[in-house]
Amino acid sequence: MQVDFVGDAGIDVLLDADHRVWGQHPTTSVPLLGTPVGMQPTAAIQVAWMNKKIGTVDHVDVAALHNGREIAFRLEWSAATESSDVSDNNSFPDAAAIALPVSPDAPIITMGAPGQPVNAWYWRADEPQGARQLSAEGLGTSLTFDQRVIQGRGSWKQGRWRVVLARALRVESESPVAELIPGTATGFGVAIWDGANGERGGIKAFSGNWLPLELQAASGERNA
Amino acid sequence: MGRQLAMVMDLNKCIGCQTCTIACKRLWTRDEGMEYMWWNTVNTQPGRGTPRDWEQSGGGFRKGVPKPGALPTRREFGDAWEYNHDEVFFGEKGPKAHLQVKGEKPDWGPNWDEDQGDGDYPNSYYFYLPRICNHCTHPACLEACPRKAIEKNAENGIVTVNEDRCRGYRFCMEACPYKKIYFNETKKVSQKCIFCFPRIEQGVANACARQCPGRVRFVGYRDDENAPIYKLVEKWKVAVPLHPEYETEPNVFYVPPIAPPRYDENGDIDESSPRIPEEYLVSLFGPPVIEALATLHDEMAKARDGQKSELMDLLIAYKWKEMFGGFDKDPATIEWVKS
Ligand code: SF4
Repeated sequence: MQVDFVGDAGIDVLLDADHRVWGQHPTTSVPLLGTPVGMQPTAAIQVAWMNKKIGTVDHVDVAALHNGREIAFRLEWSAATESSDVSDNNSFPDAAAIALPVSPDAPIITMGAPGQPVNAWYWRADEPQGARQLSAEGLGTSLTFDQRVIQGRGSWKQGRWRVVLARALRVESESPVAELIPGTATGFGVAIWDGANGERGGIKAFSGNWLPLELQAASGERNA
Repeated sequence: MGRQLAMVMDLNKCIGCQTCTIACKRLWTRDEGMEYMWWNTVNTQPGRGTPRDWEQSGGGFRKGVPKPGALPTRREFGDAWEYNHDEVFFGEKGPKAHLQVKGEKPDWGPNWDEDQGDGDYPNSYYFYLPRICNHCTHPACLEACPRKAIEKNAENGIVTVNEDRCRGYRFCMEACPYKKIYFNETKKVSQKCIFCFPRIEQGVANACARQCPGRVRFVGYRDDENAPIYKLVEKWKVAVPLHPEYETEPNVFYVPPIAPPRYDENGDIDESSPRIPEEYLVSLFGPPVIEALATLHDEMAKARDGQKSELMDLLIAYKWKEMFGGFDKDPATIEWVKS
């Protein structure tokens, strides 16, 4: 997937999922799969989900743009119901995340490995005007850090979520953060949680192996 | 393996006063999001309990394999009712406004079926069952958590939620067969009984135990051979865990209840069968409860005959502070550190 350069779009434009700039650039339909039940990290989760559908969202439309300073991903998917509250013990929020490798060989299937972190940007429907940044070095190891680095906006209209996750291209952090440099390529992954189906944690729909992500050079020229 | 703290509750002495419940509430669950939480509950048995029908809600293990469990709703826990205080006290409606629960009419509460019990007059029966987290040796909550956010202290066996690691997934809440994990929707984390570890660390017994007017609760290390827990659980074997078939190996034990004898149709005392059916007690505490009851009857008979009974002396708890296995310091000595 190409991240087009839109030099004159400010961060407010990028964070507006309905802005026409998003319609002027291609969107990629990314198929999603439920995480395999055998990969769930505890026996209790495996038993509980043995005969239940994991990952009810089967695809997500993804677009990404950068303006030389910030990069934004827009995710759009169908959700019959808007699960946006956690006001009871059995209600879970819809959620979405973008995963990016910190080290080039970090495995995405296990959300990283010791010494090979994966960086994730996480948005959830009960906190629609924000997002969290996580890093993980294996299943169940994710840690939240540097709140405020990732910006998120989401809204649900007529059976569809539109969520934007954005970050400055250059960030300075002690923590493992993915590098995103215009004119270079990296990989990305997407995950969507269907709150109404009780999805949370490792119970989610995900995009499988790293998908290519090419950041157009800030000049607007195609990568060599 | 390190040592294990435990509690024994003598169900023959519990008067259902809920002092334990309130002691816990005032100390630990007064923050926002904790309104509906009662880490200590006391329910009438037979009864549906808190959360409603928790004994039928799954969780725990069967032959070592986790058993799926339910996520009880706030209403099933009994919720935290809000009242029309403003209307009654400041609404200027005089006698026309009555104190009422706001919103939907409750159909359950944390002590909804109090004193109902079972059986027919004059042989009806019930007893009170106080419950806290069992700080299990094989905690289903800890094993269910994908983030290792639940920790069992290596030195004292207390099971706690690490709120920094918890993401509010509630797999623990599903897994706990005693339904003693609560979800805090404000902090978005799971919370539970902490066995008053900040008191324990300073030599002070748990608030529920220390405040109990019935001298129901013994506290201490399971392996402390000179203290009551060891004597009641290991030596006399009169204290048994609740629902051992859930396979979590609880560290809270109960001295089973013995009710007054039954009456026959002529109004005479009938000792041929107990008032509380043994099958019912077996369904709660497993087959070892039969032995425990037999021992209790034997020792009660001895004491009635004027003979010395170490067991009866222990259960009577003549010396209140000896119930606390060495954790007998005055709560006023605690140095609270605000974090
Ligand atoms: S355990 Fe003690 S404080 Fe709690 S209800 Fe029974 S008698 Fe009252």
